[in-house]
Amino acid sequence: MPKKIKHTVCDEKVFSSIYKQYAKDLHDYLYYKFGSQMDINDKVQDAFMKLWDNCKDIVPEKARAFLFTVGKNMMLNRFKHQKVILKFQEIRPKDYTNETPEFLLEEEQFYQKYQKALNSLNEEQRVAFLLNKVEGKRHKEIAEILNITSRVVEYRIYSAFKIIKEQVKGFK
Amino acid sequence: MDKEYILKKWLAGELTDEELATFKKSEDFELNAKIIEGAKKFKASQFSTVRSYDEFKNGLKNKKSPLIRLNSYKTALRIAALFVISLGIYFAFLASNVTTVQTVASQKTTFELPDASSVVLNANSTAKYNKKKWADKREISLDGEAFFKVAKGATFDVITTNGTISVLGTQFNVKNRADYFQVTCFEGIVSVKSHREYFQLTQGKTIRIIDGTVVTDTIGYKKPRWIDNKSSFKSVPLYEVLNEFERQYNVTITTQNIDTKRLFTGGFVHDNIDQALTTITVPFDLTFKKENLTNITLYSSE
Repeated sequence: MPKKIKHTVCDEKVFSSIYKQYAKDLHDYLYYKFGSQMDINDKVQDAFMKLWDNCKDIVPEKARAFLFTVGKNMMLNRFKHQKVILKFQEIRPKDYTNETPEFLLEEEQFYQKYQKALNSLNEEQRVAFLLNKVEGKRHKEIAEILNITSRVVEYRIYSAFKIIKEQVKGFK
Repeated sequence: MDKEYILKKWLAGELTDEELATFKKSEDFELNAKIIEGAKKFKASQFSTVRSYDEFKNGLKNKKSPLIRLNSYKTALRIAALFVISLGIYFAFLASNVTTVQTVASQKTTFELPDASSVVLNANSTAKYNKKKWADKREISLDGEAFFKVAKGATFDVITTNGTISVLGTQFNVKNRADYFQVTCFEGIVSVKSHREYFQLTQGKTIRIIDGTVVTDTIGYKKPRWIDNKSSFKSVPLYEVLNEFERQYNVTITTQNIDTKRLFTGGFVHDNIDQALTTITVPFDLTFKKENLTNITLYSSE
């Protein structure tokens, strides 16, 4: 009779696969939630370190939930008063075929308004919207990450979109 | 068809080819498309990339963590209250010595804590506590909704992702669902610490935090309605009413063309689905259709 091997998170193979599976998602989630001013990498590191410290008590299936809860809570109290800023990629002339200075200036202004709009969203709207539209995550996956229903995810994306549109309109 | 409805479907990627072709001809399509495309300029990995596993491993060896290691439970207790919430969550994940009580959809259960305090758990809820440590510290984590009858004694803490509720012998209800956090005091005094603020509730007072908005109110009944198998809502977004409906009846509700953020006042019973559906649809002039045993669709009458 073959011996049944129980894989726990303390097993390096398991732990490294969990890291490779969720580190980027956790990083992106925290980044979109708290902005580009925070040192997200440190927080991701700490979350995985806590997972490692508690590895014998957490089953692999619960690892994702643990990581996201820990990551979120680490930042909640210390940084709640800080403004959320999300950087946008530089407007470079060689990205556009129409290079008039006025056009480039308009583009810059459009993205500044967009940036302001994103910062004005509540973090739940912002996270759902960006995970879906930038990272291409399905509603169901976002729902699992945020521990809410798909319907709520859909609603948040819609709300976010409306708010952004309201603030950027006036630009073609 | 309603413009907002089409927009929602487009955002969800659910338009048919035909609907999409029509949508692309709409006046503000260019702006809509620009917003979606423009989002990519904020992509995280352009500004910050997560460390590789090998980099992490090296960091693990070298790091002199300024953070308190939670291997020692006692050490964590000396730290300020801020950490109580995080500690509760970690504690909730530790498998050893933790008693877990959990309900699924359309299930409620009552259980006793080691000091004879009792907890009634509503559907789809989980409570976790450490039996051995109960005599030293009464601390229970909750995900979902529960009604607590606390025996007099040292502090009793309920830890949720939205805040910590502390009491001395009393009766209170805590509802902690995604986006919805509500604490109601039925007897005694309850203090609520939600990560932004601190509140105190006396008998008959309730506090609700939905999406960051805080609402305080007074209630007239002596215990939560759901214990008597009824749900009662006062100015609550419809989506939360539907979420609770799904929990109580173990069904999935889909809405069509309805603004589920509208505030609903009313209720439904837990033991008669047709009556329950009627009471939640009539106030907003909605209609319902039972697709099968587990799926229901709600429509706007307009």
